[in-house]
Amino acid sequence: MLNDDGLAERIRQTVIPEDGRIPMFIYTDPGVYETELSRVFGKSWLFVAHVSELADPGSFVVRTMGEQSVIVGRGEDGIIRTFLNSCRHRGMKIACEDFGQTKLWRCPYHGFAYASTGEFMGTLVGAPYERVAYPGGLDRDALHLIEARCESYQGMIFATWDLDGQSLEDALGDLRWYLDIIMGRAEMEVVGVPQKWVIPCAWKFPAENFTTDAYHTATAHAFLSKLNLVKGVDFGRDGYHVDTNNGHGLGVGVHPADEDSWFPAECQEEYAANLDPDQLALLGRIKNFHGNVFPNLSFLIPNFIEVAGQRVTGMMLRLWQPIGPDKIEVYSWHLVEKNSPDWWKRKGRAMYVQTFGASGMFDQDDTENWEMQTLNSNSALRRADEVWMHFEMGIHHEPLRDEFPGPGAVFDGKYNESAGRTFYRHWRELMLEPG
Amino acid sequence: MIDYAARFAVQDFLVAEAELLDQQRFDEWIELFTDDVSYYVPIRVSRKMPAPDVVDEIGYFDDTRQSLGLRVARLGTDVAWAEDPPSFTRRFVTNFRIGPAEDGEVKVRDYLLLYRSRGDRGTYDLISGERQHVLRVDGDGFRIASRRVILDQASLGTKNLGVFL
Repeated sequence: MLNDDGLAERIRQTVIPEDGRIPMFIYTDPGVYETELSRVFGKSWLFVAHVSELADPGSFVVRTMGEQSVIVGRGEDGIIRTFLNSCRHRGMKIACEDFGQTKLWRCPYHGFAYASTGEFMGTLVGAPYERVAYPGGLDRDALHLIEARCESYQGMIFATWDLDGQSLEDALGDLRWYLDIIMGRAEMEVVGVPQKWVIPCAWKFPAENFTTDAYHTATAHAFLSKLNLVKGVDFGRDGYHVDTNNGHGLGVGVHPADEDSWFPAECQEEYAANLDPDQLALLGRIKNFHGNVFPNLSFLIPNFIEVAGQRVTGMMLRLWQPIGPDKIEVYSWHLVEKNSPDWWKRKGRAMYVQTFGASGMFDQDDTENWEMQTLNSNSALRRADEVWMHFEMGIHHEPLRDEFPGPGAVFDGKYNESAGRTFYRHWRELMLEPG
Repeated sequence: MIDYAARFAVQDFLVAEAELLDQQRFDEWIELFTDDVSYYVPIRVSRKMPAPDVVDEIGYFDDTRQSLGLRVARLGTDVAWAEDPPSFTRRFVTNFRIGPAEDGEVKVRDYLLLYRSRGDRGTYDLISGERQHVLRVDGDGFRIASRRVILDQASLGTKNLGVFL
């Protein structure tokens, strides 16, 4: 493993997204990964939950930031907070389940107990014993759960350990206009719980795929056209590539402007109440929508598919949770408009499960690619020379100027890797930041 | 009296089905399902007792005869990358609990242990679960009218469910 100075120098000299060049070692190098845990995952806003998962006071979910277990809970006072899932006494996990509801988290080791607001409430063995064990009393303030900074945007709850850094809204920047469309168009709710599964792949492969990669669809997901589910390869090309600031990126696939919205008529009123006319017009043309919030939250409206005579899609959030340099745990949420008609909910859910998620026909293709890339990245670590990844697509394209209403650098056509280059510029900046 | 003939008929049917899958004979396999089949794999979650640990609102599979047919058709193309070359699989189907035949249907539960190996690195995945079937009597045999599989992991330890359960 390289020492930190050597690593910083190698990153400075070889990570050159400006020229469309990314060295393969950065995907799985253990030293890179250790540095990412502190400088990328320790500093960025990380997605932890959707607000609909925390409907009631006392409800909580257990999630991970970087590799640290956290509790995301709605306190009895209604406020959503994120805490390190670690007892202040001896560091035992205080919530060992996936989710639940409680007024009090009780550490199973020594009974140290915490209110849903994070306050230390005493030990379970009771005050008489506590007085014997700690005749001087316990410093209740010092035993408050360690709390992350927690903010939300359009129902998406994020947390960060960077207590003094920029706000979530500033970090999302231009991406907000697009998140409004997909997550703010209506009251959205998570259906059930996230699917979870483990893929032996490095986290940046799927993150960059959702950020910038529309080109793979025609090949990796060629079954779509082979089975006549879409016509030709247009499903990957027609639309816009959007490079926003701060490492985020997305692609919008559109259908012809003279076609009515493919979203249900029953929802149009709610959409119109939540979006400005430009956002509403773009929503009305969406046939697919993919992107990534830096570093590891992807979002996707899958390409509409006809299910028993009706065209449906879903709304997916996807967390690429690293569990080591070459392995991730995937969290995959399916969301739907809470007030939408039953057919849209039922068929959209079925379509999501059949095409995405662990058994999904798209995801199977993708996991295969990401695993094999990861194996090759590991073998690249054993080479004296650099193995380069090619990120030049659209490098000389000029963004649209006035033809598109949304913010960011917007390119006509989805085949572009501008947002991928920005992802790695932002990544490099964080990795090389002093401290 | 135990109806051994009926028990063997059910067991033989499910063992033969496993063989079709392990031999990638998907076109024959899909014919074992009724047109109105529900093929559902809910999500297992880790909860404190006595909360239920199965979530049915969404699943890992949520399929009909039509969508299973689409999955099979995809496997028949030359672009089903994730299973071409195919995984080596071996399905161990055991612990049969077979209900009485009622209205032409038999409720069956069994355990599935699916061994899966893909690639050449000496590794394999094990997928374990309980399967709950409704078998519909069809002539001398059965068709699968319903299958629900309760998997034994809250976070699946296989990179995808590109194999049928």
